[in-house]
Amino acid sequence: MDFSSFNAAEQAQMTKIIEKKQMQDFLRMYSNLVEKCFNSCCNDFTSKALSSKEEQCVMNCTEKFIKHSERVGSRFAELNAEALNTQK
Amino acid sequence: MSFLGRGAGGPSNGVNPERIEMAVTELDTVTDFFNRMVSSCHAKCISTRYADQDLNKGESVCIDRCVAKFNEVQKKVGEKLQSRGAAASGGGAGSFTGL
Repeated sequence: MDFSSFNAAEQAQMTKIIEKKQMQDFLRMYSNLVEKCFNSCCNDFTSKALSSKEEQCVMNCTEKFIKHSERVGSRFAELNAEALNTQK
Repeated sequence: MSFLGRGAGGPSNGVNPERIEMAVTELDTVTDFFNRMVSSCHAKCISTRYADQDLNKGESVCIDRCVAKFNEVQKKVGEKLQSRGAAASGGGAGSFTGL
């Protein structure tokens, strides 16, 4: 996305909107990740505490999701750059 | 996003709400597309055993291909909808434009 044709006031407003959306996006990702990792890692309810195995699973799940999302992000950016170049 | 750090481009200093709305719609569309891609490719490529905190070789290759494929499906569906829309112009949901 290219907002370079926007004037200063418009760019300032876009920055504000983007910041707000990034916050919302982060919170949404957080709750989705909790659900995903809980469902993948917690299946034993004979104890109310997370076992060390479950905890390790949750940590790996979170770490792996971040790496996954970063990798998708960089591939996506490459695709966009490619599409932009063929447009010109 | 490349608009930061560039000089003011527009001739006026007022905010054009229409331009903002268009940009927000575009932003929402791209964000939604990206989030769906992350979640689809995660479901298809990442093992739920979580024995390791790093992406293994197979998962990494899978993600790369998944992103390319997801994008291609987006294009194909877009083309199909567009040709359908052109065939039944006026009667359908109207114009569809890609990202």
